[in-house]
Amino acid sequence: MVTKPKVAIAWLGSCGGCDEAVVDLNEAILDVTNAVDVIFWPVALDFKYKHIEAVNDGDIVLSIINGHVRNSEQEEVAKLLRQKSKLVLAFGACACFGGTPGMANFRTKEDIFNWVYRDSPTVVNPKGNYPQVKTVVEGKELTLPEFYEQVFALNQVIDVDYYLPGCPPPPNLIANAVTAVLEGKLPPKGSTLAPHKALCDSCKRNKTKPNKIAIKDIKRIHEIEASPDTCFLAQGVLCMGIGTRDGCGAVCIETNIPCRGCFGPVEGVADAGAKFIPALASMLDVQSDSEMKEAADSIDDLAGYLYRFSLPSSMLQKKRT
Amino acid sequence: MSNFEPKLVCFSCRFGWGFLGNEAELSSQIKNWIPIICSGKLDTAHIVDAFKHGADGVLVLGCPEGECHYQDGNYEAKKRIYLLHKVLASYGIEPDRVRIEMSLDPEGKSIPKLVKTMSDTIKQLGPVKKA
Repeated sequence: MVTKPKVAIAWLGSCGGCDEAVVDLNEAILDVTNAVDVIFWPVALDFKYKHIEAVNDGDIVLSIINGHVRNSEQEEVAKLLRQKSKLVLAFGACACFGGTPGMANFRTKEDIFNWVYRDSPTVVNPKGNYPQVKTVVEGKELTLPEFYEQVFALNQVIDVDYYLPGCPPPPNLIANAVTAVLEGKLPPKGSTLAPHKALCDSCKRNKTKPNKIAIKDIKRIHEIEASPDTCFLAQGVLCMGIGTRDGCGAVCIETNIPCRGCFGPVEGVADAGAKFIPALASMLDVQSDSEMKEAADSIDDLAGYLYRFSLPSSMLQKKRT
Repeated sequence: MSNFEPKLVCFSCRFGWGFLGNEAELSSQIKNWIPIICSGKLDTAHIVDAFKHGADGVLVLGCPEGECHYQDGNYEAKKRIYLLHKVLASYGIEPDRVRIEMSLDPEGKSIPKLVKTMSDTIKQLGPVKKA
């Protein structure tokens, strides 16, 4: 019997959307499962961690890991899969950059716990109970994973071979990535398996982008009736496409929603938010300091906007307290 | 924190600051002085990078408004810094730690003084908080 290459798919701090994206391969997933032996996929198949522990080091050809790392269980699974795998693919925005949950790095662990277990209006917690790593109940010790001080991208915890960003990654890039592994046609280690240019490069609305973008009054998408064909920036709506890696298929743009940056910054950019500021500044068509302040102050939560998917992998990573 | 000596980085536009002065002599007086061609060349990522590498403050010296060699590079820098202040506040870094001065000093003699003034402001704030 010919042994098929072993593949593991794991979710760490994840919403499940990345696993859904794998399922969205539709019938192509049958070709994948014919070609490989999926030995771990918690969202779909009933394998346990002990099954991974039983595998020899390096026996798994590819581990596809989605989600960020925020607790000790996620770190443990990531390290276990790294040990057992030849290749690790960081799959989706959370694994690649920390993702939307990474915005929690603008809050401390203490702030989060106080809100979730004490201050939120829907919480009833008269005894002031907080989750503990160890609790003894009727003589028996119960344990929970430790909740870390911050969210980590996958490469801050283990060595990552390849990156496939997106929230979630699109089926064509998933199929390309898996095929590249199976056929051994991989780019250099550390590569992102997506185009290098910015989304504007392939955006159908690009032809309507003026040479000089001049925004006097920044609008949010729900505040206008956006034209379905015109560049969002020309309509005064901030679109991250100018600094975001191409490859998503412009699915948000197609549904008349501006790019939010889930593919992360373009090749070679370390900090999506800091790098976007000069672009944003140059688009503000203001003639005086007061106009500048008015335009800039009209953006609610600028930092959240700039680092919607990439705060943990940004240069400063988290709030100083 | 009486012994605290702030680590300051000073970026200055070569067109407006110190181009008639003795650069070697000025360099000996100003720690971490980085003359650049136009303050508009300064990417906010460079400022963030300075904080990543342990800076306590960043001073940017640009040309007076309306006198940029490249039309409006200095005003672009001003806009960037205003936006950056908001982002730094979210990181827990006080906006006072980044300042832009839009003026002119071909001899550059006022640069050490400006650095000293900014340094004194930052002494009051103390070191950047730990991540």
